[in-house]
Amino acid sequence: MDSLHQIANWMPALVHATGTTLALTATSVVTALALGIVLALAKISGNSWINKPATAYVFFFRGTPLLIQLFFIYFGLPQIFPELNISSRFLAAYIAFSLNIAAYLAEIIRAAIQSIDKGQMEAARSLGMGYGQAMRLVVIPQSYRRMIPPVCNEFIMVLKDTALVSIIALNDLTFQTKMIASNKASALVYVPALAIYLVLTAIFTIIFNNLEKKFSVYE
Amino acid sequence: MLIIRTENICKTFVTVEAVKNVSLSVDQGEVVAVIGPSGSGKSTFLRCINGLETISDGEIYIDEELFEKRVHGHPQVRISKERRSEILLKTGMVFQRFNLFPHKTAKENVMLAPVNVKKIGEKAAAALAEDLLAKVGLADKFDEFPAKLSGGQQQRVAIARALAMAPEIMLFDEPTSALDPELVEDVLHVMVDLAKSGMTMLVVTHEMGFAREAADRVVFMVDGEVGEVGPPSEFFTNPQNPRARQFMKSILHQ
Repeated sequence: MDSLHQIANWMPALVHATGTTLALTATSVVTALALGIVLALAKISGNSWINKPATAYVFFFRGTPLLIQLFFIYFGLPQIFPELNISSRFLAAYIAFSLNIAAYLAEIIRAAIQSIDKGQMEAARSLGMGYGQAMRLVVIPQSYRRMIPPVCNEFIMVLKDTALVSIIALNDLTFQTKMIASNKASALVYVPALAIYLVLTAIFTIIFNNLEKKFSVYE
Repeated sequence: MLIIRTENICKTFVTVEAVKNVSLSVDQGEVVAVIGPSGSGKSTFLRCINGLETISDGEIYIDEELFEKRVHGHPQVRISKERRSEILLKTGMVFQRFNLFPHKTAKENVMLAPVNVKKIGEKAAAALAEDLLAKVGLADKFDEFPAKLSGGQQQRVAIARALAMAPEIMLFDEPTSALDPELVEDVLHVMVDLAKSGMTMLVVTHEMGFAREAADRVVFMVDGEVGEVGPPSEFFTNPQNPRARQFMKSILHQ
């Protein structure tokens, strides 16, 4: 009973820190989705002035560790460009995560768009739609359902990867857990921390499963 | 008035000459059936006319307006993007595999282009779609998604969808080849009605019955070239081209 009591005492701090974890996950995934769609369309483009930079972007952000990207934005940029001093830890983490996740989402979105039968674009074009219109009205809406499972996967990975921000002392769930563990010299706090991550993952899995069903109505 | 005129058009895929020097015209109100063995370039020829494939050489006129002219792949005419799509809108296309938009209902499939390309407004487009779907015998299927329709029903929606843009000529690319035999008749029936209503049609088909009954002219293509052209009464009873004779024989043996 004593340990339950202890855990209950820690919960307000843990829940508060979970808010930071959730906020960082949600804001960076939403930003990354927007950036990812632009990158994916750029990669599909036949114009090499457009597709080469997008390919280079994905190559760089997928090819280097997220942690170093985070360090670079939080510690490195202010040294090179003093006027770019990002004093907010959250903002630095948000930028690093958004840029990084966008690279992965770009590939997911590109693959989903390219998996749509070529006949769809041909039918749309033969009805007088321009390329952009055909993409927006016909091809991309069909690709949503195909991108939901891998995007869900990515979302859950991000949720857990946000634990990295504890290294720049942003008060997320992992940072708060570490603080309690060292201050109270108790490893017991890892139990509620793990449970909270698990509950969040479960909630998002359910949400994405419902989304997938919603986008499958026509099949 | 010639709706379509091609002058010596060629289409080469890397090293394969799919279409060689095809010159053909289709007059207003005329129904032309293009037949021939598979791989003879019929579909490629059709796809060149509405810009789905880019010709390597030759000239294409739509409504006697030069729309495409190329020499060794190099364009010889410059047309603005807007004019190009205006010209292309004079052609409607029906595909072998229907290519309906699976995320839209039958009615939405028909409405999509009128609303977004012609900007005629949702209400007018809905009325147009219902009218056209009723004409192809699908008055009870307005709100069905394509996955819930049979192949024959899907192809009829596709015909209604193309008609909704009020084209001057309908291009059919083997419209019944992907259908179960018992569904072919429904689609052919709609096409015969369309022909009777005066629509100009260029139909790539394996349905000899349709070519014989509904076409004004039959074009026999072989190895990317036009082997023979003639009225069906002559072509089917007494083909002149030896390859056409061979082709007819192989069909009769089936």
